[in-house]
Amino acid sequence: MKLNKYFERSLWVFHLNTGSCNGCDIEIVAGLTPRYDLERFGIKLVGSPKHADVLLVTGPVTSKMLDRVKRVYEQTPDPKAVIVVGACGTSGGVFYNSYNISGSVDKVIPVDVYVPGCPPRPEAIINGVLQAWIKLENLRESMKTAQAK
Amino acid sequence: MLGLLETGSGFWSAIIWVLLVLVIGSMVIYIRNKGEDSYKKNTEQDKPFISGNPEENKESSHLSANHIYWGFTEALKGYYNPLIKIHTGNINDYSGWIIVITVIILIMVGVSG
Repeated sequence: MKLNKYFERSLWVFHLNTGSCNGCDIEIVAGLTPRYDLERFGIKLVGSPKHADVLLVTGPVTSKMLDRVKRVYEQTPDPKAVIVVGACGTSGGVFYNSYNISGSVDKVIPVDVYVPGCPPRPEAIINGVLQAWIKLENLRESMKTAQAK
Repeated sequence: MLGLLETGSGFWSAIIWVLLVLVIGSMVIYIRNKGEDSYKKNTEQDKPFISGNPEENKESSHLSANHIYWGFTEALKGYYNPLIKIHTGNINDYSGWIIVITVIILIMVGVSG
């Protein structure tokens, strides 16, 4: 019996800004305000990827952030899910092909859920977290099955 | 030595203290062993999180004393800069200062005496 078992459905999210204009970041924070109140489900932002189940990435990946994004991804314990919030992280957005951009987030790390929009509404971000939750449940199930074999 | 120490505000017993350390310590070790153990060793997962920056070696991350006192020396640089100039590292200069100050003190003692 592991204590973690009881926290599996309370996703802890690490928010990583890879060069966002803060529009998406404001919408993420809006999801935590009393109107939407994601924390009532145990979903909360944490200060370290080492405590997180989910990486929430906003913005296109700037050249300066490239190796930091990779490192933060590697430091997140398995099983993990990556959600990209916003048009810039999804495709580069208005910064597409810019001289100081390494590309969209999925060029650097594997992405599980995309939430498009500029910026997306908090409802869309909450739906993205839900999709990541379903994905993590499946990942945990497959890990348990693999361990049983 | 292991008796009860009674004071005006309570008591202290070495035996109870040792027992409490053992009981609380065992509880902490039990809860810790129930925690996450699936992290991958010798990867980034067992390195510290420094806002995504790489971990520097111990020598280059050393914080020397002049870093700690930077604000202090910056605020008092009117006082420190002349002092640093005086500290030439030349023993002849220091001997000269001792002689000059000794002479001044002797004159003052002689005049006042």
